[in-house]
Amino acid sequence: MLMAPKEILKIENLTTHFYTWAGVVKAVDGVSLEVKEGETLGLVGESGSGKSVTALSILRIVPRPGRIIDGKIIYKGENLLEKTESEMEKIRGKEIAYIFQDPATSLNPVFSVADQLIEVIRRHQNVTKEEALEKAIELFRLVEIADPEIKIWSYPHQLSGGMKQRMAIARALSCQPSLLLADEPTTNLDVTIQAQILELMKNLKKKLGMSMILITHDMGVVAGVADRISVMYAGRICESAGTKTIFYNPLHPYTRALLEAVPNIAMKREKLKIIPGAIPNLVSPPSGCRFHPRCDFAGPACVSAVPPLVEIEPEHYVACVRAKEFSGKLPSRS
Amino acid sequence: MLRYVIRRIIYLIPLFFGILIIVFVASRIAGNPVQLMTVQNPHITAEARQRLTEYYGLDKPLYHQFFIYLAELFQGDLGNSYALRGGIAVTTLIGDYAWLTFELQLAALFLSLLIAIPVGIISAKKQYSKLDVTVTTTSLLGTCIPVFYMGIIAIIIFAYFLGWFPAGGAHSILPERYPFGSYVLDELWHMALPTAVLTFATLAPVVLLVRSSMLEVLRQDYILAARASGLSERSVIYKHALRNALIPVVTYVGLYFGAMLAGAPVTETVFNWPGVGRLFVEATTKLDFPVIMGITVFITIMTLIANLITDIAYGYIDPRIRFE
Ligand SMILES: Nc1ncnc2c1ncn2[C@@H]1O[C@H](COP(=O)(O)OP(=O)(O)OP(=O)(O)O)[C@@H](O)[C@H]1O
Ligand SMILES: [Mg+2]
Repeated sequence: MLMAPKEILKIENLTTHFYTWAGVVKAVDGVSLEVKEGETLGLVGESGSGKSVTALSILRIVPRPGRIIDGKIIYKGENLLEKTESEMEKIRGKEIAYIFQDPATSLNPVFSVADQLIEVIRRHQNVTKEEALEKAIELFRLVEIADPEIKIWSYPHQLSGGMKQRMAIARALSCQPSLLLADEPTTNLDVTIQAQILELMKNLKKKLGMSMILITHDMGVVAGVADRISVMYAGRICESAGTKTIFYNPLHPYTRALLEAVPNIAMKREKLKIIPGAIPNLVSPPSGCRFHPRCDFAGPACVSAVPPLVEIEPEHYVACVRAKEFSGKLPSRS
Repeated sequence: MLRYVIRRIIYLIPLFFGILIIVFVASRIAGNPVQLMTVQNPHITAEARQRLTEYYGLDKPLYHQFFIYLAELFQGDLGNSYALRGGIAVTTLIGDYAWLTFELQLAALFLSLLIAIPVGIISAKKQYSKLDVTVTTTSLLGTCIPVFYMGIIAIIIFAYFLGWFPAGGAHSILPERYPFGSYVLDELWHMALPTAVLTFATLAPVVLLVRSSMLEVLRQDYILAARASGLSERSVIYKHALRNALIPVVTYVGLYFGAMLAGAPVTETVFNWPGVGRLFVEATTKLDFPVIMGITVFITIMTLIANLITDIAYGYIDPRIRFE
């Protein structure tokens, strides 16, 4: 019998708040999720739902005035929130790497790409400058950049967006991390380049045997890449399940609304449904289920209590009090 | 890069001549130096005045005077002073005074950068802390107080009451009063007070600039990316952030450098510091045309050089400019 793969990362009740003048922004408020060894988890949600803050929390690099105030981040059996800053520096980039949303701003404009790569490589590996340069050029081959020996000396402003993102990926992969956090790595690229980069990341993940969290607001992107999906709304996870389950048997009304918002060739000329309303203000979010003001199925129970994330069926977690009613059938929205 | 520099120089040539024309005309409109020279001599005849006017070439039409001036300028001749040191050559005069101005300004600039950059960085790193609030408030006060006021207060406290430093000048009159008999130490001793005042005046805006520029840079994704790669806090702040944060500081210092020679008259006059700035004030009150023009040429050329240095520093810090 096949052993179920064990998780490389397990987040429990992660709570990260921003202490701003306007009040406490509850950007991440009790998020739990897990990534199994070798799998890709898609973290999906609208803009502002707290995906990036979750990922930054994993590396403990949440910018001020943000603070992680509660929860556990268990990586390879150890709680990262109990580590010292210097222990974290050894984990960042080496064990867990991050690829940013916008390649235009994630490379330092005043240093050559070679300098930036060499610095990261030498930070985590005991090699000379020359050896580090060799490795950097090797990485450039890996991310399929032509003429790596020449291109590596470029400065970020001399490169196209797709090229920059390849270089950012090269930097993230430079120390063979076990876990890659890819924060919307294709959102700011042209559609054709998007497909190329996604394909590249998929192949690299397989080649290097990494686990990955792919953050996106685009259901279409995760469909082809993720093994499992966690759907996030207003700082909380509302549904977690295998990709197939999410697409064919979504139980949370928000997940369904997201799916209906995906353009689909089969839909022909039918109008795209959009989710009415906007993501709530996270300083004073709605009581109970945070989605209830926008939900077509909300009842009194949804307003009064926070629905816990429960395992409705094996490996399928939903945070909705009415989830059982939706099981098996899809009530259509009025 | 070289092409960029040459282009800048070519661009500055018309500016240079523009400035010359304006100052030339403006100073001549201001009054008649012959009148000023002879006003205290009751026995002067109109004929003698006429001879003086002809001697200085002031009887010729203005454009004619200007071309004569230009012709001499290209031979490196800035003329002779009307009023100072028995008609000394302007080049010699400026040469004597310029060094003291440089000394004072460079010392103040160097000290203020040395203090302002680390203070600005720490202030930004600890935004809204007690330290940050203290630094910001002090700097704001520093930018508000005029230099001459600060100078007078400093003289009253440190020269008059405490007697630690001389109140003015660059040297003791009597060599016996040189500290340890050293000419250099004497000059440094005289320099201390004006340098301190000028440093404080220069320091304050630079601290605020470094702080705000640093805060801006620390918000950028590439700083987060540097942290996410596991780089040490030291490398993140002093390498990745600082290099970017210094770009506006270089601009500021470049502008300051140009203005610094023109801005020196106030400090130099308050401290009776025999520099170009004070010389300029003196020449203006005496309508000493050749000295006024000479200093203008000098300041313009210095500004031009300062601009070039700024551009080169820019190119060094920011590759986006280097590869234009
Ligand atoms: N530095 C900050 N100060 C205050 N609030 C912040 C800060 N950074 C993020 N937030 C808040 O945290 C919430 C979640 O932001 P986050 O960047 O994680 O969203 P996201 O899901 O990544 O969205 P996107 O798809 O637009 O990247 C937002 O409401 C945002 O206003
Ligand atoms: Mg984001």
